[in-house]
Order: sequence, then C-alpha cells, then structure tokens
Amino acid sequence: MSEAYAVELERVVKKFGEVVAVNGISLGVRDGEFFSLLGPSGCGKTTTLRLIAGFEMPTSGSVRIYGEEQGYLPPYQRPVNTVFQNYALFPHMTVAQNVAFGLEMKKVPKEEIKRRVAEALELVRLTGKENRRPKQLSGGQKQRVALARALVNRPKVLLLDEPLGALDLKLRKAMQSELKALQERVGITFIYVTHDQEEALVMSDRIAVMNEGNVLQVGTPEEIYEQPQNRFVADFIGKTNFIPGKVVMLSGEAADVRLEDGTVVAAARPEALGVSAGEQVVLSIRPEKIYIAPHGDKPLVPDADALTHAVGQLQKVFFVGVERRYIVALPDGTEVEVRVQNTDRGARRCRVGDRVSLYWRRAHARLLKE
Amino acid sequence: MSDANLARALSRRSRMAKLKKRLSEGLFSGYGFLGYLFLYLPIIILVIFSFNDSRSTAQWAGFTTRWYVAMAKDHQIILSLWNSLFVAVVSTVISVIIGTLAALAMERYRFWGKLMMDAVLYLPIIIPDIAMAIMLLIFFDLSGVGFEPWKVHFFGVHLAVPYSVIIGHVAFNISFVAVVVRARLAQMDMVLEEAAQDLYADPWRTFWRVTFPMLLPGIVGGALLAFTLSMDDFVITFFTSGAGFNTLPVRVFSMIKKGVTPKINAVSTLMLLFSLVLVAISLILSRGGSEEGPSTPTL
Repeated sequence: MSEAYAVELERVVKKFGEVVAVNGISLGVRDGEFFSLLGPSGCGKTTTLRLIAGFEMPTSGSVRIYGEEQGYLPPYQRPVNTVFQNYALFPHMTVAQNVAFGLEMKKVPKEEIKRRVAEALELVRLTGKENRRPKQLSGGQKQRVALARALVNRPKVLLLDEPLGALDLKLRKAMQSELKALQERVGITFIYVTHDQEEALVMSDRIAVMNEGNVLQVGTPEEIYEQPQNRFVADFIGKTNFIPGKVVMLSGEAADVRLEDGTVVAAARPEALGVSAGEQVVLSIRPEKIYIAPHGDKPLVPDADALTHAVGQLQKVFFVGVERRYIVALPDGTEVEVRVQNTDRGARRCRVGDRVSLYWRRAHARLLKE
Repeated sequence: MSDANLARALSRRSRMAKLKKRLSEGLFSGYGFLGYLFLYLPIIILVIFSFNDSRSTAQWAGFTTRWYVAMAKDHQIILSLWNSLFVAVVSTVISVIIGTLAALAMERYRFWGKLMMDAVLYLPIIIPDIAMAIMLLIFFDLSGVGFEPWKVHFFGVHLAVPYSVIIGHVAFNISFVAVVVRARLAQMDMVLEEAAQDLYADPWRTFWRVTFPMLLPGIVGGALLAFTLSMDDFVITFFTSGAGFNTLPVRVFSMIKKGVTPKINAVSTLMLLFSLVLVAISLILSRGGSEEGPSTPTL
C-alpha cells in the first residue's frame, strides 16, 4: 500500500486450536488517528489488539507498525503501549513507581525519569498523588494512572482495551471527552477497542466494525451510521428498521423495491453491493429518517412531493421527552419505528389504530442483502 | 392505645429481644469456649507441668524452672535441636526453590505430562507418612545412596546429618510449598505480567519486578509451613536417618521410652512456643501482604 500507515494488518489470521478468533483481516490505521475497533463481545476485536501489542502471535498474516514487520517480536520489543481493561496497575508499587516502570526498563537516566513522570502525571491531572498506592485511588484515578503509565513512554501507538468499561456511566462520559482531548493534544495514534457503539461514534476518527473475526466495514462515524454496507453494521450501530422487499429496478445508485404488499418504494444501492433485479433484499431505514403523517397527508417539508410513500397502521406511540416513537405495522406485518421530534405538529395528529402514511428520501433507504 | 403506652410496649419488646440475643450469644460463646478447652487443655496442662517441682507428672509440687535448666545442660537434647534446625533450614531452602518453580510451571505453562505431574505433585500430602517413610527407606537402601552423613562445623557445633534425612524432608516439603505458592499464583492476575512486558520488561525482569514481589507472601508462607513441618517431623526422619542420628522429636521419643519426665514437658513447651511464633509471623506477613502488597525488592 502506498499510504504510510501507523499500524497495518494484512490478512491476519489468529486461531486458538480450532477456534478462529481473527479471520484474515486487513486494516490500515493512519498516523495520528483515533481508530476504534467496534463489535460485540467475541468478535475478535480484543484479539486483534493483542496481536498488535504482541501478546498473541498471528497464525498467519503480517502486522506492521510504521512499516516495520513485527513478526514474532515479543511485546517488550514493540513501540506500542497498552491501557488495559482493568487498568492492571502494579499493586505493590506507588503511582509514581507505576508510571516510571517503562522508563526504568528502557534505562532512561534517573533525572529524566523524574521529570517525565511528573509531566505525565500533570497531563492526567494527578500531581500530588505520586506516593499513593493503586488501592487508595478511585476508578477514574486508576484509569488516569494507567494512561500516564502508557503515555510517559511516548509510544508511537497507544492501544486501549475497553479502558472505560469499568467506570460508571457519568464518569465514562466525562472520560470520553477527556480521552479524546488528550489524544488530540499528544498527537499519538490511538487504537481503541470498545463494544459501546455510542462511545465509538463520539470519539473516533474512523471505526472498524467487527463481527465473528471479520472486519465488516471501515469508515468515519458518519459513514458507518449513514451508509452501512451490510445488515450487521446497520443493526449494530444505532437503531434501524429492516423492511423486506424485491428489487424491481436498478439504475446506478438508485433502486426501486417492491414491498410485500405490492407498494413500490425508492431505495439507494451501496456502491459495493452486487444485486440484480428480482432479488430478495431488505431496506434499512433509520427511524429518524422517516416522516409520519395521517393517511393521505403530506409531511411539512419542502421536497414532500419527491418522497417515496408507504402506508401502514399506527400500533403504539411512546413519549420519550425529546421525541415521540411511533410503531407502525406495514400490511405484511413488518413493524417500523419512526422517531419524531416533539416540534412536528403533523405527526401528532396520528392516532393509534389509524392508517398512516410513511415517507422517506431515496438516499435514506439503504438496500442491503438479506 | 396511647402513644406513651405504645412506646412502653415497644421498648419492653426491644428489651426482650436484646435479652434473647444476649442469651443466645452467651450460649454460643459457651459452646465455643468448651470446644477450645477440649483442644487446648492438654497443652495447658503440658505447659503447667513443665514448671512442676517434682519428677511426677501427675501431682503438682510447686513452681520451678529446673527442668528447663536440666534441658539446657543435656548435650543430647541440644545436639538434636541443632540437627533439627539444620535439617529444617536446608530442606526449607531447597524445597522453597523447587516448590516455587513447580508452582510456576503448573500455573503458567502448558507442557507434556502436566496432568500427571499435577496429580503426583500432591501425593506426599495425601499418602500416610509411614508409607512415604518406608518408600524412602527402601529407596535409599536399594539405590545405594545410603545414609552417609554430611559433616558440618559452625560456631563450635559439629553435626553429622545424613543426606537421606534432608532429601526425605525436601521430598514432602516440595508439595506443601507448591500448594501454598500456587494458591497465591492463582489469585494473581496474569494481566499484570502482560502489563510489565508491555512496558518493555523482558521475562526475567518481569519475574523479578512483578511476579516475585507479588508472590512473596505465598513463598514466605510456604517456607514457614515447610520449616514447621520439618521441625515437627518424626516418622520420616526416624526411618531415613540410619543409626545414631537424632532430631529433637526423635530424641524426645527415645527419652519417653525411659519414662516421661517434666524435662520432656519443658522441651515440648519450647517447641510449642517456637511454633506459635512462626504462626504469628506467617499471619502478620499474609495480612500485610493482602493489604499493602510487599515492597519492591531493590535489585
């Protein structure tokens, strides 16, 4: 590849006995990027991180860090550092000793160690806690010691394995923005493993969505959310509706799909998706991308006439503060969720049991394989 | 019912509950007390009669410390004490090293025949002492190792300790050390070792900077256990020592054959005191270990 990657995986396979944890993935993480590996537990994201760190050796394939083949290099010879899930602070050492550990191992002069430890602790706002033991720290503080202990070594790449997983929700939100700001300040490439899709969306420059040992899609948070390439990605990230149908017309990115009840609606075909007319597919439409109106009414948007249209029966309405959620049953029984901001007056006239009209733009209905 | 009445009734009820609680507590602590009495009465009697001013061990005839003086003057006893200490120290050092390595191997690595090793490692804990003693006796006899003494001189003490006794003690101590150290290892999070490696520590330095300090309470506990068991052992020593070698328990046994004297009580009391001190040390160490973690040894 021509582009200079910080970390590059090429057809990496990792098997544990018969179990394939990582199934031949190829990835390129750019220099200075906040890159997330996102997926459900058991999808191989942590194994991938451990392959980069050197805790696992690939069964086959190549792992390169700034162009250098890591091969079977042990973790202590790789220019990366890890922030572990449960911090993994050394309980028999003080905060300062923990942070100094890597520098001591690298035989950095004593004076410099002292200075850099102080700097690192300042960076994570833990100055004054040097002589505490890990046991005397709160979860958030331990987290920051773990960060300082890794960052003090000035690694080329920092690997983070669900570092916020053990924190409570409020602290996690605070640490998310703190971590992101820190990454921008130090300019180090971060590879971040998480199963929390919101966390990945908020923090990352790019995300790789993984499942069952494969990378399903790599892209910016917006691409991943707006243009999912397959059903798993669409389903895993955010909430989405799947409506089954059959392709009746294909023209470039545009496609028309006949729903089970015969209605023909507009949809968009992702570039990479190879489908042909007559094929059974599903439409993936985000609930906030659908307009709802009493049967026959048009939604109050300028391009209302250009929207595609389907009819259903309103089953339930949930009020959740900022929005209302409408559950609509299509004639074939498929339930569709529609989320409407509380400012939309047209939607509010819909009553449970009524026939209602659903509208969406072509680009928002993504054609995906069954 | 008026508020005042209600309050009075309630307070009466709570007083009854308190009384009941105190009664049952008293009853239970009474049971506990009896249990301890059953366990410790013989020991208390043993200690008391070591101060008895009479050759009889049945009747109290006033306080004396002469049996302790007599014990200190008995060269046979002093020599056997040295023998015991020497065997205990040497066998503890050897079995701590081998036992710790065995525990590390069993807990951290996979290798061929591990399952069998796992079962065999704990065999000496399970099989009766006498069986082990006879096994060792036959082994030393048949293998030609024999009962050659190791001659040692220090501080004007001259000892002749058969290698066979030391080997015998090591043979059973390894298991105990391995069990204790392995328990500690199992509690230890392996991710700490990964963290050390991630921070550029090679396996050697990972061991000395992280694994070993965290393991230390287990190793010390294992060592104290091995030391105590070695000091206490009679059966295996008796069978593997050949002729004319006495550790303290073996010496006491041969003294008893000539009748129990308060001198034996005095020896036993001292051994008891010694064991108590060891137990106290191990308790203090293990408690300190769990709260603070041992300090980093400087290398």
